[in-house]
Amino acid sequence: MDNLATTVAIQFFNGLVIGMIYALIGIGLTLILGLLDIPNFAHGALYALGAYLLLQLVGVTGSFWLGMLVAPVIVFTVSVILERFMIRPLYPAGSNYVLLFTFAVSVIVQELIIILWGPVGFSILPPQALAGSVDLGPFSYPRYHLFVMIASLAVILGLWLMLERTRYGAIMRAGIENKTMVSALGIDIYRLFTVGFGLGASLAALAGVLIAPIRGLMPYMGVDILPFAFVVVAVGGLGNVIGAIAAGLIIGVTQSLTTQFWPQGSTITIFGVMAIILLTRPQGLFGAR
Amino acid sequence: MLGIWPFTGAFADVGPVLDRGMSLALEEWGYKVIGRPIKYVKRDSETKADAATRRVEEAVETESVKYVIGPWSSGVALAVSEVAKRRKVLHFFSGGTEDISGKRCHRYSFQWAAHAYTAADTVMKTFLRENPGAKRWYLLIADYAFGWSLEKYLKLVGEKYGVTVLGADRHPLGEREFSGYVSKAVSARPDVVAMVNFGQDAIQAVRTFYNFGWQPKQPLIMAWSAGVEELVQLEPEMRENVWVGTNFYYTLDTPVAREFVKRYREKYGEPPGYAPAAAYGMTRLVLRGIEKAKSAEVPDVIQALEGWEGEDLLGKMRIDPKTHQTLRPYFFLKCKKKSDMKDQWDFADIIGTGDTPQPAELNECADIGSL
Repeated sequence: MDNLATTVAIQFFNGLVIGMIYALIGIGLTLILGLLDIPNFAHGALYALGAYLLLQLVGVTGSFWLGMLVAPVIVFTVSVILERFMIRPLYPAGSNYVLLFTFAVSVIVQELIIILWGPVGFSILPPQALAGSVDLGPFSYPRYHLFVMIASLAVILGLWLMLERTRYGAIMRAGIENKTMVSALGIDIYRLFTVGFGLGASLAALAGVLIAPIRGLMPYMGVDILPFAFVVVAVGGLGNVIGAIAAGLIIGVTQSLTTQFWPQGSTITIFGVMAIILLTRPQGLFGAR
Repeated sequence: MLGIWPFTGAFADVGPVLDRGMSLALEEWGYKVIGRPIKYVKRDSETKADAATRRVEEAVETESVKYVIGPWSSGVALAVSEVAKRRKVLHFFSGGTEDISGKRCHRYSFQWAAHAYTAADTVMKTFLRENPGAKRWYLLIADYAFGWSLEKYLKLVGEKYGVTVLGADRHPLGEREFSGYVSKAVSARPDVVAMVNFGQDAIQAVRTFYNFGWQPKQPLIMAWSAGVEELVQLEPEMRENVWVGTNFYYTLDTPVAREFVKRYREKYGEPPGYAPAAAYGMTRLVLRGIEKAKSAEVPDVIQALEGWEGEDLLGKMRIDPKTHQTLRPYFFLKCKKKSDMKDQWDFADIIGTGDTPQPAELNECADIGSL
């Protein structure tokens, strides 16, 4: 019995780690969905871009920490420019065009990755300081995995504080709830969209950076993760940040625990859960409509 | 001749190198055989049965394709094999499923890769020779035709060598999240974990085992690997104490292999792995078959290949006329520590070969059929 408890505990930790990554990606996606009203099909590609930029920065500077901080900033800048000069002009044409454009971006970014780094995948080692395992008593657990949990938590907390406690955060939340009213109050709604898009994109990039030593890099990693990102958003509620966090963790833990008892069903179960929730509570677990 | 290769999908990284292997063989023959020009038709299998069969049908229909080489996925291959039988075109495949030369055998399809039994036997026998005490094994299997075949034979051969299989978990093809599987395997406390998976799945699994501290303290086996193509995507630290079973490794010392590796390296700057070697090897056999038959008619070539025996890429090779299985050696490697690597491609050494064929009584090919 003790062995089973230990195994389940390990699986639970695994679930939290991947769940945090799902949460980060999900928050970014749900922010963009809530603010700009578009499902960002380029989200997976931005996550992949974050990972590949990390690879490049580590290769050039030798520092994982530097890469981890700079890669999301680069993606923020790139996506802000993208939104301001390519997506914004499409708003009058309707959300379908914006959606198509994000899809085009995802393909372009993926092919660019192949052109720049090749079709063959890479591995990246965690930084020396985070190598090896930590003895947690009943079992050992990889240090880097624990770091991912803690770092993601810190970022999510910081984001939550920004959204709940700062004026700009309040504006952003209002923008998700009612764009027209926010605009009527004299706030530049388009500038809000740009920042929101950049923020969402950099969260995806950060997720890619954090997961790189765990999952490695592959040009199609964006395509691989996108369905999970959408599941998180659907289960959590569109535009709902708390929902994305909860959903990410639920999905991650579900996936991990299912692997223990029914390996073949681990991926099916997630989509099954999403299907059930969409049928019974379409606004998501935390959605309010 | 049709090369049905995965240029997209789960095995997308293998398509281009398979193409290279086949092209190299055709180049050597000058794109001509028995005085007639060879047209090399390429199609994307997408690693999906429906897309691949559609494209093979189309190629047979519109390009008069008579010889089909590929695909790469065992699952897709079984579907393509059906098309070959119906269309009466020669089909040569290299992959882990035993059904091509077993349950689903027919006159038109041939298997180049070592039989799953041969592979399992070589892997277990050689590993135990180097690690005699490692009697408790845990298996991680990709959940499709190729995985099932090797799982079955690892368990069977295990009985012969006194090995206990503590557990065998199946993961879906294309899985990326291995933490769960790794934790489960590790907590069973086996002496060795043996994986039967391929491509990105295998790479990700090795990576995850490493992250959880399995290797280098404990051994990890990749029972059926592409060799170079997979090992290059891992860091040397992740490869330490990893043992690899494969159908081809570039340090193989036969005249044909040496020449092939030399030309491949000159042209592409990197050594070939199992995939391009298989494409190269299969193309060579088909061409040799055409030469021997002195005819490009499919039935003549098939008859020329049945019972064919000779020295080729892998050394002594023979095609069993009853099952169309190529009898040839399988190789077992041990990966090198970073400090022992002479250059960036010096991943491993071949430490053993095995060519024990599947026992005849286990073969399920009741009747290879007629032309």
